[in-house]
Amino acid sequence: MKIASRRFRGLVAAAVAVSAIAVPVITALPASANTELTFWSWRTEDKAFYEGQVAKFEAKNPGIKVKFTPYLNTDYNAIVSTALTAGKGPDIIQMRPYGGMANLSDAGNFLALTTKDVPALGKLQAGILAGAQGYLDKKQYGYPYAISAMGIFYNPDMLAMAGVKALPTNWDQLMNAFKKVKAAGMLPLGNAGGNGPALEQLHASVGPTFYGGTQFFNDVAAGKKTFTDKAYVASLKAVKDLVPYMPAGFEGIDYNTARGLFANEKAAFYIGGNYELGYFRSLNPSLQAGWIPPVAKVPGAKKYVSTWADGAYAINAKTANKAAALKFLNFLASKDFGQALVDEIAFIPTAPYVKITDPVVKAINSGRSSLGTPFLNVVGFRYATPTSSNILQPGFQKLITGAITPEQLAKDVQTAVASWYAPQKGKS
Amino acid sequence: MSVSGLKREQRKYIAFLLAPAILVILVFTTVPAVTTLSYAFFKWEGFQRGGFAGLANFQRLFEYPFKDQFLMALRHNVLVFIAIMILQTSFGLLIAYSLFQLKRGQRFFRTVTFLPVIFSLVVVGYMWQVMLDPYYGPINMIINDLGFESFAKPWLGSTSTALPTLVFINLWRWVGFPAIIFLAGLNAINQEYLEAARIDGATEGQIFRKIMFPLLAPSMTIITILTFIGAFEWFDLPFVLGGSNGNPAGATDTLALMFYRLSFGSVDSNANEVGVGSALGVFIFVIVGLGAAVGQHLLRKREVEQ
Repeated sequence: MKIASRRFRGLVAAAVAVSAIAVPVITALPASANTELTFWSWRTEDKAFYEGQVAKFEAKNPGIKVKFTPYLNTDYNAIVSTALTAGKGPDIIQMRPYGGMANLSDAGNFLALTTKDVPALGKLQAGILAGAQGYLDKKQYGYPYAISAMGIFYNPDMLAMAGVKALPTNWDQLMNAFKKVKAAGMLPLGNAGGNGPALEQLHASVGPTFYGGTQFFNDVAAGKKTFTDKAYVASLKAVKDLVPYMPAGFEGIDYNTARGLFANEKAAFYIGGNYELGYFRSLNPSLQAGWIPPVAKVPGAKKYVSTWADGAYAINAKTANKAAALKFLNFLASKDFGQALVDEIAFIPTAPYVKITDPVVKAINSGRSSLGTPFLNVVGFRYATPTSSNILQPGFQKLITGAITPEQLAKDVQTAVASWYAPQKGKS
Repeated sequence: MSVSGLKREQRKYIAFLLAPAILVILVFTTVPAVTTLSYAFFKWEGFQRGGFAGLANFQRLFEYPFKDQFLMALRHNVLVFIAIMILQTSFGLLIAYSLFQLKRGQRFFRTVTFLPVIFSLVVVGYMWQVMLDPYYGPINMIINDLGFESFAKPWLGSTSTALPTLVFINLWRWVGFPAIIFLAGLNAINQEYLEAARIDGATEGQIFRKIMFPLLAPSMTIITILTFIGAFEWFDLPFVLGGSNGNPAGATDTLALMFYRLSFGSVDSNANEVGVGSALGVFIFVIVGLGAAVGQHLLRKREVEQ
């Protein structure tokens, strides 16, 4: 027993000794000469772009290393929220626009920015800055880096093969173009139903001409009109009308496969945001894509391009590397980075002094300038749950399979928004 | 050296060896569980805790907009439990019985059966996603090539087939587990009973029904309880294949996914509801705890001694 007792004491003594030596050694280690910043994003498709930019930043700023980690877009918010709540998370965060992360801003998770910290903020328009402000305190929590705009991408070669001579400008012409492509044995539309957010974006593209764009946005925001308005119901129905032109098994085709169908020249059209262009070209650099604004519901009706500030770069309020993080944020707000954003991944930069040379991006930017209307759900109705998007994303998946009518979906959206949005309270 | 001295030393050893495990359980299980319980009784603004809310969060779980999601998710959990219990247990038993009867190669086939259990779930999810892709997936291509075009469904994308497909994938991945437990149960049966029955002229079917199956009751208890817990905490596979929203259109939503979504937010809105999420967490804990305790009590009663 004495042996056992001695062994036990020895074991404890050894454990204490190891920790007594190890702890001071670990804590006394000199801080690394390199500051490592962590940078999270939901843009898995832009990993190569960001890593390239990080390399440029690191070359100019020896002593600061940046680790870029993208996460699956559908899980990104949850991952960021979890990390920030635990008092952790990265130094730099790609921030969802408007209500997408406003609760995290309001809970004090992001560093409030001033033009003194980030001078480039002073050059952005008020409407763009609003995309990265707190809902409650209206402080600036991020540098909005890009503007997104919805529209219709087309493949000119496939349209020529199908005998579509003129680009469609109204709904009937679009349907006729789809029919011609289908009759020629090709897939008219790459869009599918496996991803709720993509369907919501599809609606944000084709819908505004049906519900009346900015006027309707202002009316529902003021509580003068509701989502059960006939015009809004018609906009939902428009999404369902596209189903016959989607790929077989459209309900189960995921976002990347759907986009890939257009990128790999298997589908003649893809309806979505300008940010898809970079992805299309990354899959197929030789793709000759064209872009037209979403068509008018009838000849002569007004066309609209849904637009919004799509994301910002923010700094974790609890970062231990504030100076380095601000340095990197200023790099992300620089002219060179903005130029790379448009040249390499075809984003529309927020900074007005960035030059757009890409003809497709130029067309999108011009459409956005002349036909722009706020993306109804993103800009207006994501500040509390259930958001209009909470209802629409699964709702569209039901709508396109016939499990729900456009009228029912409109009613569900109205019930959701009226449950928290003061001007709509009590309205059905 | 006294006997009590020996015991004291032993106790010290035991305590020393158990301490790390107890610490890990305390820090990573007990503290979060108790904290979640407390969260359910407070108001929340994003991730900032407000004042005491009493039972309001529990009440909100049964009000718009959570009630419908909650009932749908609960329904899915119940369906999944029933389906897994019927399919996984019967296939597991069938496989175990076949392996038990196997004279040669039992070890090889046992390993093959258990192999999917040790695969990474992410790999399993991705593999099935590719296999079931309605456009490029080999499963639909084979169905089409065989001339059964109408059966080539968007398996994971249709609201009517998504949940059954997930149950099937779960079966493929986990069937080895009940099979191994049943096989261990079968191997533990005293061979003399079987031999005596054979001498008495019992058929193999009779032996299985009258001797083996009743003696497998302890294995059945373990499997039922574990399946129950697994089904009501089902998160990983639906999350990998349908995301936190239970894609498509909530067809694969479960209580655990809803808990995750409420507590940490989702892609379309980060306006999370920590209080309601925690109330749901407590509810899941109660279902699983009570169900497992009652189930174990009832099932243990019908076990027979060898």
